[in-house]
Amino acid sequence: MPKTREQAETTTVTRLADRWRVVVLNDPVNLMSYVVMVFRRVLGFDDVKARKHMLEVHERGRSVVWTGVREQAEAHAFALQQWHLTAVIEPDEASGS
Amino acid sequence: MKRVEVKLNLDAVAPLLDVIKAAVDELGEAPAIGHHLPDRERDFADGWTEELLKGQADDLGVLLRLFGKEFFADGVIALDPLNAEAVVRACAAVRLKLRERHFAKLDDEALETGEVNLEALPVKLRTAFAAYVFLATLQEVIIQHLDPSATE
Repeated sequence: MPKTREQAETTTVTRLADRWRVVVLNDPVNLMSYVVMVFRRVLGFDDVKARKHMLEVHERGRSVVWTGVREQAEAHAFALQQWHLTAVIEPDEASGS
Repeated sequence: MKRVEVKLNLDAVAPLLDVIKAAVDELGEAPAIGHHLPDRERDFADGWTEELLKGQADDLGVLLRLFGKEFFADGVIALDPLNAEAVVRACAAVRLKLRERHFAKLDDEALETGEVNLEALPVKLRTAFAAYVFLATLQEVIIQHLDPSATE
């Protein structure tokens, strides 16, 4: 039915445009200094921000390091995974997706 | 970063290379860390994995080339702006693989602190753990030169 199809397409477009989070999860392998360096190089964080997020990952098991459109979130997650950090993306609940 | 030459103890490091090469071989099959992409098609996810694998393979090749003829002649490896990032990433990949392959029974805290009772480990695991620590040390040397503030 055409009407249903249109609704489905609209839903897809809306979800892709919604905000997504890039979350880095803790692992027991990567050095703290390495994680700080990766945050600085990949995400452009200054030293204070990089350390804050590294400690959050270490102590709480996860840290939201970026929020925005999905395509860019995926690009950041991919770059972090190239450096072997466990980075995932998830819908940003605050944006209502 | 300037060129840095690191003199290693050949007798201590050479035995670790077999463990490292075995991990490198396994890393040819899959990225060091798994990933999940919500709501994406299979082709997209496959392309993602393929790109990660390609970059990982390039980095691991750079790491292995550090331990070529020159290393076995004088025990020296040379780090420079062209290879440092690849080597530090490759070390991370190999350490993750070593953990998965050899240290599944060690608790995370012991791995994070490095407080492992080596004498309680079988000889094969001791060698693997020595390789794990060696690669971390190599990473620290590189990070001190690439991003000194990260190590403070």
